[in-house]
Amino acid sequence: MAAPAVKAARGRSVLALGLRRAVPRLPGLSQVRWSRYGPEYRDPQIDKEYYRKTLAELTEEEKYEQELRKTQLIKAAPAAKTSSVFEDPVISKFTNMMMKGGNRVLARSLMTQTLEAVKRKQFEKYHAAAAEEQATIERNPYTIFHQALKNCEPVIGLMPILRGGHFYQVPVPLPDRRRRFLAMKWMITECREKKHRRMLMPEKLSHELLEAFHNQGPVIKKKHDMHKMAEANRALAHYRWW
Amino acid sequence: MLKRMTRLVSGARQLDPGRFLHGEPQAPQSLAAHLDNQVPDESPRATSCTSEDDPVRTFNEACLMVRKPALELLRYLKNTNFAHPAVRYVLYGETGTGKTLSLCHVIHFCAKQDWLILHIPDAHLWVKNCRGLLQSAYNKLRFDQPVEASSWLKDFQTANERFLSQIKVQEKYVWNKRESTEKGRPLGEVVEQGLTRVKNATDAVGIVLKELKRQSGSGAFRLLVAVDGVNALWGRTTLRREEKSLMAPEELALVHGLRKMVRNDWHGGAIVLTLSQTGSLFKPRKAYLPQELLGKEGFDALDPFIPILVSNYSPEEFESCVQYYLENSWLQHEKAQTEEGKKELLFLSNANPGQLERLCAYL
Repeated sequence: MAAPAVKAARGRSVLALGLRRAVPRLPGLSQVRWSRYGPEYRDPQIDKEYYRKTLAELTEEEKYEQELRKTQLIKAAPAAKTSSVFEDPVISKFTNMMMKGGNRVLARSLMTQTLEAVKRKQFEKYHAAAAEEQATIERNPYTIFHQALKNCEPVIGLMPILRGGHFYQVPVPLPDRRRRFLAMKWMITECREKKHRRMLMPEKLSHELLEAFHNQGPVIKKKHDMHKMAEANRALAHYRWW
Repeated sequence: MLKRMTRLVSGARQLDPGRFLHGEPQAPQSLAAHLDNQVPDESPRATSCTSEDDPVRTFNEACLMVRKPALELLRYLKNTNFAHPAVRYVLYGETGTGKTLSLCHVIHFCAKQDWLILHIPDAHLWVKNCRGLLQSAYNKLRFDQPVEASSWLKDFQTANERFLSQIKVQEKYVWNKRESTEKGRPLGEVVEQGLTRVKNATDAVGIVLKELKRQSGSGAFRLLVAVDGVNALWGRTTLRREEKSLMAPEELALVHGLRKMVRNDWHGGAIVLTLSQTGSLFKPRKAYLPQELLGKEGFDALDPFIPILVSNYSPEEFESCVQYYLENSWLQHEKAQTEEGKKELLFLSNANPGQLERLCAYL
């Protein structure tokens, strides 16, 4: 494909940006689809501690790293990533998925209200419970969030594979990031669709998170359905070639 | 702001400056109810700073931080000379600094000292979003607000039940052809009349205010007038008449009565007021000084008053607040317990109590 390559190269020299060539997405081949940066771009260093080290504390490797970064091209840091101690990449990703129309302010406020709601519900349960049960009740909204999403992750997924003119749903193992994505996607879809018109998102989401934390609720059911389908289509597993 | 009012529990604990307890907002009805349940041997309960309707559910306690503005006010109140006209104290400051909670602290103190509390939790609610305005029967030019008046009467009744039977009305009031309150009847009857006949609720409020003002000088009781968001009385309203023209606040009977109450032509008590930008109408967000929020008319009406500035937390107060949250396990995030976390909280909230509360709610 000479023409697109030449065009891409020309584009690269003109814009001085790294443009990726379009490669068809093959299953099993990972690729960052939408990144406008070429491979020579390095990720930005967000960590505060890295910059606080004085010259004397740095090891040889780190000094070399620092010198190297002065000459390299570095991507711009996304606006959503902060060097705050309270930052959590999972929460960040979930907030991005909840966002609509680029309104991250709203998505973030919904997320914080959800965490607050989870915390309050757990505190109520804590105060209502007897002394022995109080030790078992988890009050940290972040652990509940992480555990709930982990509980919702499917182990095995289905993929449509074309054989003899028909698409067959073949059970495949899922990579980690696909599982995390599916868990978050199911959670958000469930909360958006299956709630009363007047109920607010934080309330519904906090309820679903608490249920998922205890391995109950519709999202867990969806995960189990996925597993059952995969088990049912066990015979088609040999259609997978990777 | 009304939402950020606190629930004060009358516990056995003395509120001395060394104790830093943190308070949270709550509805005034519960405030009144709790003041009645004086249980000395109950252990004092602390509350978290929540913006819920029922904060005690979350924490099982109700606490307040004892801060300098409140202590200053309490000192003045302890040294009041009841023969002189009532002194007006105005709590002002930026949003979220704790004016309403200081007011609640003062009310709690006065309630424990057995004063009669006349508490309007948020004057802004009387000048906006009111349904069911009626033309007043007493004065054709003014308007009644039956809903707000009756809810206020109910709170007043719960807060001051003992006084309602002691104070006697000094004039005969005729409600309609069949009902009237004779001279010498207890004030409780007027309140009952206002609650049962909602149409007369505003007039009942007016009568209550007039009688209390008249009789506070007699020495039988000490009167505390506490109004939150007093700048609403001299601002603008968003209420319209039937002809869709905007109403001025003096055309509302409740506001008219309250303005008379806040004048310092009576003795035997004190007047504590709070300015509030949060619920105010047509005022810029950054305005917090008395001149800006009250306007010329309001400032002149309140003129000789003692201003008390309520500011953000000092470093010790901030530390104490964070310690309180940590003790009650409200701050659940692991990083919040570290020094880095605390520095970040200080930076993000700028030691503003309201902002800190909102931050710690989800951490």
